[in-house]
Amino acid sequence: MSQIPDSKHMTATLGTRILGSVAVAAVLLMTLLGLVVSPEDLVQGHAVRMLYLHVPSIWIAYAAFVLTAASSVLFLIRSRSRADGGRHHDRLAGSAAEVGVLFAGITLVTGMLWGRVTWGTYWQWDARLTTTVLLFVTYLGYLALRRLPADPIVRGRRSAVMALISFVNVPIVHFSVDWWRTLHQKASLSVGRRPEITGEMYWTLLYSTLTVTVVASWLIVHRYRVIRLEELRDEEALNALIASRLREDDVGN
Amino acid sequence: MDLSPRHELGEPDELRRKVHRNRRWAVLAVTALLIAAAAFVTAQGLRNATLFFRNVDEAVEQRLELGDRRFRLQGRVVPSSVRSESGVTTFQIIHGCVVASVRHVADPPELFTSPWIPVVLEGGWTSGQVRTVAGADTHYFLSDRMLVKHTNEYASANDQRISEEPPHDFLDDCPFDVPAAKS
Repeated sequence: MSQIPDSKHMTATLGTRILGSVAVAAVLLMTLLGLVVSPEDLVQGHAVRMLYLHVPSIWIAYAAFVLTAASSVLFLIRSRSRADGGRHHDRLAGSAAEVGVLFAGITLVTGMLWGRVTWGTYWQWDARLTTTVLLFVTYLGYLALRRLPADPIVRGRRSAVMALISFVNVPIVHFSVDWWRTLHQKASLSVGRRPEITGEMYWTLLYSTLTVTVVASWLIVHRYRVIRLEELRDEEALNALIASRLREDDVGN
Repeated sequence: MDLSPRHELGEPDELRRKVHRNRRWAVLAVTALLIAAAAFVTAQGLRNATLFFRNVDEAVEQRLELGDRRFRLQGRVVPSSVRSESGVTTFQIIHGCVVASVRHVADPPELFTSPWIPVVLEGGWTSGQVRTVAGADTHYFLSDRMLVKHTNEYASANDQRISEEPPHDFLDDCPFDVPAAKS
């Protein structure tokens, strides 16, 4: 009756192995492009290379939080009508949030290092930096909420509401550089605006974004499967306990 | 059928309740910490974020109101005005065709040497006769902290040499000339 695969194949399938191989190769090429092929910046020199990790990381964090919010809405809609309580959407929301928090963290760390070289300081409480750290902290809170002991459906609903509240900050982070005066520069690339980055730097940035997207997708798939395995483990443990008590009752009778 | 855990305890539910209680307290403590962190971040953000700096034209206009108060001042460095002596860097910054003379008493960041780089300075107005590219002034800005505010423009260092020219349109409406190079 066990649905848990053997330990060698816990979360991997042929598809994820291919995706993982592509991700590793893409990261190697991204490193080569970012550190060797793309040129120094006219003003920032080599410090500009932080761009190729910093900017894609926050874009992927945004995308992951969009996925968390959309999955949370679907979970809230379907949790009453579906036999499994729509837990697929809850798992997807959780796994996307974990990856979003990881990349938001990478954004903060790379931003601090970049800021030290260019601005002359690791940190300033300007609107972009403040809202970004708030985004990171609220989604950490979301992940903590997911760990609270409760009925899975009840916990899923609470988490979904928290995910929607946390998502309000995503557009605030993005537009903070336009709404307020910030030390942080405006968006590097925007829809409908001529890019301020040219040549190899522009293409390296786009390629890095694609690479980070592949890595994030790979991580989300694995995290989703880990969450599912945790659920199966808990269900198996409960089933085993029930079976053992039933046996004891049979012996007693 | 009794599904409750069996342990050597007076009350059968005692251990389960204890474990749940401890875990709940741990999670509540972490959540409370995170809420406190979020509140701290929000308070810091609201205090500083909405008006992170004043541009030179605004700071000059509000000079009386600002008095000797400490604030952040933003403008582009006039490359021909930069002088450095005994750990003190003097230069002029410009925004909206208004110029301020600056006396900076700490080490500037590395990118400060880039021509027309935008900078954010922390300090206050100080009385003193100075001369700028726009004419005479009665105050200068005494600064002890400088942040370089780089733009979102990126260009290959292989293709272009650093230009001493001001950014496009930046000085077009100014009723005075700004010398391009050090005199």
